[in-house]
Amino acid sequence: MRPFERQKRRKKKKGKDQRGQVFHEESSPLFHDLQKNLNKIREELGHSTDLVVREFEWDGERKIRFAAVYIDGLVDNNMVGDFIMKSLMLESRDDRQTISRKTAFDRVQENGLAVGEVKITRDWNGLILSILCGETVILMDGWDEAISCGTKGGEKRPIDEPTSQVVIRGPRDSFTESIRTNTALVRRRVKSPNLWLETMRIGKVTQTDVSLMYIKGIVDEKIVREVKNRLERIQIDSILESGYIEEMIRDSAFSLFPTLYMTERPDVIAGNLLEGRVAILVDGTPFALVVPALLNQFFQTTEDYYQNYWISGFLRFVRYGAFLLSLLTPSLYIAATTFHHAMIPTTFLITLVAQREGIPFPAFVEALIMELMFEILREAGIRLPRPVGQAVSIVGAIVLGEAAVRAGLVSPAMVIVVAITAIASFSAPSYNLAITARLLRFLFMLVGASFGLFGIALLLIVVLAHLSSLRSFGVPYLSPLAPFVFSDQKDTVFRFPWWSLITRPRLISQKNMTRMEKDLRPSPPDKPTEGEGNEK
Amino acid sequence: MEKAKLDFLQFFSLIVLFELGSTLVIGMGTAAKQDAWLTILVGLAGGVLLFLFYSALFRRYPDLPITGIAQKVLGKPVGTLLGYLYVVYFMYVGARILLDFGILSFLSTLDQTPFLVIMTLMILVIIYVLYLGVEVLGRLGEMFLLAYLLVSAFGALLLLFSGLVDLAQLRPVLEEGWTPVLKTALQTFTFPFGEMIVFMMLFPYLNRPKSRVKVGLSGMVFSGAILCVTSIITTAVLGADIADRSTFPLLTMIGKVNIAEIFQNLDVIAVLILIIVGFFKIAIFFYAALIGLADLTKVHKNRLVYPMGMTILFLSIIIADDFVEHFKEGLAIVPIYLHLPFQTGIPLILLAVSLFRHRKGAAGTG
Repeated sequence: MRPFERQKRRKKKKGKDQRGQVFHEESSPLFHDLQKNLNKIREELGHSTDLVVREFEWDGERKIRFAAVYIDGLVDNNMVGDFIMKSLMLESRDDRQTISRKTAFDRVQENGLAVGEVKITRDWNGLILSILCGETVILMDGWDEAISCGTKGGEKRPIDEPTSQVVIRGPRDSFTESIRTNTALVRRRVKSPNLWLETMRIGKVTQTDVSLMYIKGIVDEKIVREVKNRLERIQIDSILESGYIEEMIRDSAFSLFPTLYMTERPDVIAGNLLEGRVAILVDGTPFALVVPALLNQFFQTTEDYYQNYWISGFLRFVRYGAFLLSLLTPSLYIAATTFHHAMIPTTFLITLVAQREGIPFPAFVEALIMELMFEILREAGIRLPRPVGQAVSIVGAIVLGEAAVRAGLVSPAMVIVVAITAIASFSAPSYNLAITARLLRFLFMLVGASFGLFGIALLLIVVLAHLSSLRSFGVPYLSPLAPFVFSDQKDTVFRFPWWSLITRPRLISQKNMTRMEKDLRPSPPDKPTEGEGNEK
Repeated sequence: MEKAKLDFLQFFSLIVLFELGSTLVIGMGTAAKQDAWLTILVGLAGGVLLFLFYSALFRRYPDLPITGIAQKVLGKPVGTLLGYLYVVYFMYVGARILLDFGILSFLSTLDQTPFLVIMTLMILVIIYVLYLGVEVLGRLGEMFLLAYLLVSAFGALLLLFSGLVDLAQLRPVLEEGWTPVLKTALQTFTFPFGEMIVFMMLFPYLNRPKSRVKVGLSGMVFSGAILCVTSIITTAVLGADIADRSTFPLLTMIGKVNIAEIFQNLDVIAVLILIIVGFFKIAIFFYAALIGLADLTKVHKNRLVYPMGMTILFLSIIIADDFVEHFKEGLAIVPIYLHLPFQTGIPLILLAVSLFRHRKGAAGTG
């Protein structure tokens, strides 16, 4: 919170930044009169029913009236009860008689509150904002300052297992909707003072906390500055999910390919921070963003680093292959059956032709129908309640797989093609990129149907050219493949054993490259003691 | 000029893909029968020699493309005229290659599609890539060179395993002495090795100017080696006679592969490879013309890329009435009346004049 405050103040001097302000362009100071203040608060919040105002007074020579204001449900009720109300009401009963307003206020601020986070608020915007953030605000009659205490709490979801990035070996926790939990999950893994956190509020109405995390000394300062600039540019009413941020700060506005990596796993964030990347955490969503994101990152899983490196490398090959399959299978099938019969081995060709006999549609239309049907099924399966969803997929499988073939609407080969495509696209470790392949597939089918392999090759060139022109926060999207970085090949398609991953990715962190000492390869000690004996 | 830099590997890939470009398609030096591979080596030697002359030229003017050098050496009016001539030359050669590929796709895979459509698609893709810039072209080069090497190694293995390679077809070496070899070598010298003149336009983009000679020579030698091996394999598989008569010897050769009835009719894949290398060749000629014109007219390249692309497409339609005329021009007329002066004549004159001036200048000041 602190850096944001500082920034806000600095900007306000320039008189143009309005981001921190909730309802008013100009922030007015508090009143002296308690009742006036309370009325104004109620008025500002529209007499909302979840607003709790608790008034009490210190009796003595002069009665001093206090009020604690908070929103029910946003605060931790135990905390408010035990550490604020109780301590305030019981505080310094003995010498209340003689106390003046000034000392009363100071005493409350310094000794009266048994909570950790206490700060003074002087203006209306700050006051309202603290209330809305779940802080408890203490107002005193005849004093134009308020004390806000950090009492954030309320119900939240416990830490669960990740649902979209499941692993067999590896930690089982995932982010939740609370940003504080999320930052703590990362900090628990990286216990370094260099793990820095900057928070800003984005969204004029929603005032959403957005945190930047990076490891000072590893991260490239230019990237941090760039991310901050882009975040500060955002002038929007609401941020409800990190997807809002993603689309507002990405490099290429119209590209189909994701240039920010999305994850709900704290260990992925920790790993990426250690490679010199910057993480963006958004309050209210378990999905955090990582920049810069390169294409090869979307083919890697965190498990690659936990399990045997041989299988990791193999699985990465499989994933690249599966991506190509999910992208190209239907278009290649269409091209081969429409233009390049000669390519297909003769016996297979005969089977194919026999199958397609009596099918009323050309291969392209057939493929299009099947692919669209599959997309519909998939969507239905996600939207429906879980038990019904399964029923839909069974019906879909039977209808598409059996009945359509029996009825002579589609050929069995086409069912196989669609099935391959679907399974291949499910194997993608990153949902973001799988979506890209889903959309591009239709384009490839179209050119495959119109111009055969020639069209597919040209479209591939176009896609690759587009990819080589992309950058993610200044880093070429296809690196370390193009531009080719030899030293980074150890962790791109292959995954070399940990003791050989000595340096960090070159284009990302650019400094503090060394991860570990050299020559850490484990080896059995060579012939112990015998050598020494001989020497003598 | 663009503000972009290519690294060594990117430049190297572009050179290799460029040299392989259309030479793979139509085959080289097959007129020398079984000694085709020798003509490639002789052509390569000539090309290397020529490139050393080029390097002497750009060592004197490190930041300038050939159009700029011409202005520096021969003065504004003559130099500008020469620059425009080079632009036209590059565009014309680009158009020729575009037509080569249109014909290739038409004859081999898309016999139902008019080749105007094929060429239009091709030029649109090239326009898009050049619009994105030379850096993108370089990165594409890196990736496709890798893919090309993998696929061609795979192809060579298939040829070996299918037992088609018969090295006896290469004999007798130098059956009729050196004369036919040297005669054909003139062809291989101008095409593709002399075409390195294009890179005189691109060299300012290399990130380390000192490695120019190294990248140029290594690229030429590497592609020369690949061409030589390809030529040997082609002759060994098809025999000198068929290799000479076939329009696209490489396709004919790959088409012969048949292993266990599974790997057969691979010519479509070969066509894909050829289209990809062809793409680079056209793109590089086009790019050279593009930055040449952008430099001369001081217009940004992205405003020129579309009209120039359409001009190249138009040129490729009108330059020949039919395939036969096109190939005949390519073998008999273009090398002597276009390639020789533009690749060898003008650069040598430029070098001579600049040396002469330099000496005169030195004498004057001394």
